[in-house]
Amino acid sequence: MTSNQSDVTEQTGTATVHPLQEFADGVAAAVGGVAEIHFGTVKVRVPAEWWVETHRIAKEELGFVFFSFLSAIEWANDVAVGFPLSEPVEERIEVISTVGDLAEGRRVTFSTDIDRENPTIASIVGVYAGANWHEREAHEMFGITFEGHPNLINLYLPTGFVGHPLRKSFPLLSREVKPWPGDVDVEGMPGDSGAADEPSTENPEA
Amino acid sequence: MTIDSDTIRHLSEVSVSVELETEDMTLNIGPQHPSTHGVLRLVARVDGERAFDVQPVIGYMHRGYEKLAEVRTYAQITTIVNRIDWVSGYANEIPFIVACEKIMELEVPPRAQYIRLILTEMARIASHLVFMASYPLELGAASPLFFALRERERVLDLMESVTGGRFHPNFNRVGGVKPAYGSGSQTRKIVQDLPAGFYRDARAAMDRVLEVCDELENLVGGNEIIHARTKGIGVIPAEVGASFGLSGPNLRASGVDLDLRKVEDYLPYGDFEFDVVTGTNGDCYDRWWVRLNEIRESTRIVKQAIDGIPSGPIQAKVPKVIKVPKGETYVRAENPKGEMGYYLVSDGNNGPYRVKIRSASFSNISILPWVLEGVLLPDIIAIMGSLDFVLGDVDR
Repeated sequence: MTSNQSDVTEQTGTATVHPLQEFADGVAAAVGGVAEIHFGTVKVRVPAEWWVETHRIAKEELGFVFFSFLSAIEWANDVAVGFPLSEPVEERIEVISTVGDLAEGRRVTFSTDIDRENPTIASIVGVYAGANWHEREAHEMFGITFEGHPNLINLYLPTGFVGHPLRKSFPLLSREVKPWPGDVDVEGMPGDSGAADEPSTENPEA
Repeated sequence: MTIDSDTIRHLSEVSVSVELETEDMTLNIGPQHPSTHGVLRLVARVDGERAFDVQPVIGYMHRGYEKLAEVRTYAQITTIVNRIDWVSGYANEIPFIVACEKIMELEVPPRAQYIRLILTEMARIASHLVFMASYPLELGAASPLFFALRERERVLDLMESVTGGRFHPNFNRVGGVKPAYGSGSQTRKIVQDLPAGFYRDARAAMDRVLEVCDELENLVGGNEIIHARTKGIGVIPAEVGASFGLSGPNLRASGVDLDLRKVEDYLPYGDFEFDVVTGTNGDCYDRWWVRLNEIRESTRIVKQAIDGIPSGPIQAKVPKVIKVPKGETYVRAENPKGEMGYYLVSDGNNGPYRVKIRSASFSNISILPWVLEGVLLPDIIAIMGSLDFVLGDVDR
């Protein structure tokens, strides 16, 4: 969490004149989290043990009755496919959810960090009924256990599927057997002086 | 012979006592059923004509776009997001491209924004016209299909004349739009952005769409059978719908006065005058009615945009290889099916670190178990059709 804290101070330091700041601070104060603004998206970080209570306050006291989505981001230093992170991070799974209100069209994204090896968090199905499918998807894609979920079974994948496809360690088998033909797109055209500033060999899935 | 009240009461009690004991049956609907708009499977427990405990089974079309997006460059991803909701493929590109532009802090030229807006509204008209065609068909009325699809074809022709594609235009570029298909010279740097005669044809098409809206309102909205099949059927209260993440026309039919075109800034909708269409009862009829009137509002927007389109460049200055700086944001847009958004996490590479696709139909049909509880079997078709989902948008 320490690395996140420094990010947070930078964000709030530069964003004092941001029109969303007042709104973000209000939400953060109500749920007891830390507000960040990312290009117009208000994100409030809360501890994982407050996850359900945060959503209850958001719905019942702040009027965010609309449930938009719930998902996760895996922060990992080693990736099987795709682009690796430029600098090492604290490895974790970040669970994100977005809720909104219906009167003014405001929205807020809640975020919490959970352990990557044994990801477990309480379910918010009791607060937002629509979280049911979203949590099932996050369960099969990231292997997150949602405690208190009424029916935590696979949503898209067949029963018995091994692995969690959206984890960074999960390989994309089609890329293992055949190089990606789309790689030519990042090469410069012949005779083009203003060509790509990076040869395709640096592309990780080449 | 006269029957006194005691006899009547006796008879009515007798009739209750002879009601048949029925056994529950598990009924599989789909995945290859015409009313499911693709490959959706419903498992319902049926008692006579009533369905209980309806569980949708999805995933037959899961293509793993979120994983695929992680191994592609930004320019390649627009081809993927086109195919999420293929009935309005163009509209899917907008929130993703805008998310990239937000993190890059890129100023998109006004003319490019107007072209995007015109095509987005045309995609909305085309998508709603498919609904206008298919929904009465599911209820047993075949003729509205010909009226609606004829005008949809006119709109698709216009989109094709600009983008080169009817369903999957892949027309947006980070920082602007692609020079139009078939326009300009291949050898000299003369770029003509919209094909000749586009404004005139678009105005004419919008007038024809308005006419077909009137025809559909008479043909479908004035039909007693349609009323009997849709009024008071599948009522979704606003607070239940919001809790399930129902969005777009489905939620507005329940009386929610929220349109993301009015509250978000992804396209310059603030320049135009249009009304947010809301229903009152939240039933199937209102969902049909809201979409019909949204077509009319969209034609208003297109006409205003054509009248006010500024001149100038259609592409901002961007590097040859698009790299989005480190950052994350969520951009959502009012798509024909509802709220469509992308949570984009970038780390300064050629491609994103993570893309979460929030598609409208996924949340829209997650309400099915709630709304189908205890309804008559034919109403399942009426309710599912009224939610206007596309399986590509559900499974992603």
